[in-house]
Amino acid sequence: MNNARGSLSSTDQQLIDDLRQEGAVRRKGEDQLFTTYAYLIGEGMRKYSLVEDEAFDAYSDTILSAIDNIRNGSFEGRSTLKTWLCQVFYNKCVDLLRKRSTNKNRVYQTASIDDMLLQLSDSGKSVIQNLIDRSDQDLLKQKLNELGDNCRQLLTLSADGYSDKEINSLMEYKTADVVKTSRLRCLEKLRQLYKRP
Amino acid sequence: MADLMYIDSYFKGEFTREQNGEFEQKIKDDPGFAEEVAFYCSSMQVLKNQAAEEKKIRFRKLYEETKQEHRVKSLGIRKIWPYVAAAAVITGVIFGLYLYFQPASLQQVTDQFMKKEFETEMGVKMAGSTDSLDAAAHLYNENKLTEALAQYEKIIQSGNNTELPKRMAGIVSLRLGDYDKAIEYFSQVENLSSYSNRGKLYHALALIKRNRTGDKELAKQILEQVIEKNLEGKKDALKWKELL
Repeated sequence: MNNARGSLSSTDQQLIDDLRQEGAVRRKGEDQLFTTYAYLIGEGMRKYSLVEDEAFDAYSDTILSAIDNIRNGSFEGRSTLKTWLCQVFYNKCVDLLRKRSTNKNRVYQTASIDDMLLQLSDSGKSVIQNLIDRSDQDLLKQKLNELGDNCRQLLTLSADGYSDKEINSLMEYKTADVVKTSRLRCLEKLRQLYKRP
Repeated sequence: MADLMYIDSYFKGEFTREQNGEFEQKIKDDPGFAEEVAFYCSSMQVLKNQAAEEKKIRFRKLYEETKQEHRVKSLGIRKIWPYVAAAAVITGVIFGLYLYFQPASLQQVTDQFMKKEFETEMGVKMAGSTDSLDAAAHLYNENKLTEALAQYEKIIQSGNNTELPKRMAGIVSLRLGDYDKAIEYFSQVENLSSYSNRGKLYHALALIKRNRTGDKELAKQILEQVIEKNLEGKKDALKWKELL
């Protein structure tokens, strides 16, 4: 991960350090990042004439994007967190205004499939991409809701970047290996639900 | 299940380069396996979006809990701004009026006096004159004060005991900030009997400018003499005495 480069206050740095941790510390960091700059929602309403829900969506998407960028090291600390977040937020407000009539409630796309497929070679990537394009994401989402709370939470935490070890301490499994087995069983269950005619 | 475990290990980065190569080869060779990989990727995408949605719900709750606080923060400065601006304007006007109407200080009054009294050009004789006093006056008019002082002192040292070179040597010294020398010359001037002798007034002025311990008291005494004896510069003496 890249280190911050000196434009950051000690508060910003602490927040970034927390977000790069796991478990409860990371969650605390996410909540703190959200609440620290939540007054921007009001700014979005005032400067861009957005209704509160729209400004909230733009701000939440900003924070989700920021969390990802901080965790994967894309944010290098060349500006303060506030400056960076304001820029991202205002861009999202403008995007929202442009897309107002088309797609109001789109959720921030945490990670595109492209990111996941980066690990594959070009030929492998194109095979998988074609298959993904033919998959039914809405059906998958619907089947995910049929999985049960425990399985869904387990899979969601894993997809959100939590390690099996972290999930073990968060969900009180016996060991990280048990988490891995349970997680893969849940995924298998989802697969069966999805494939069922 | 075995395939999913294998796929999971690949995407968690647990394989060696060789194993990665085998994995990719299997995608190309085995359509069923490729389907499994595609399912894994699609599921992760859906799950990540699910995680984002859950965070948004959590953020919504946080926002509702702290909404009032954020509104105050966002609106606070905007609401207060007109009052702050008005207060700044009023303060500026009051300060301006204070500066305009406040009585000038002794230093300001004497500075103005010096500017008016000493920065006007000295009269010189007609062209062609080689008079040393004229030469000194030329230097003074050209604002070559150090050279002018040297010239006046040369005249004094040559035995000229009149009022003009001593007065001018005092004035130049005063303008150069050499108050001790100015006081010395003005003390000599005030004792000379000459028409329109402003020696005492200038002596007091030099003391005010030097402003050492006891200088103001001495300046006041000299100014009182100017006033009582109705000497040259009585009007200015009265003004300065009021401010001392």
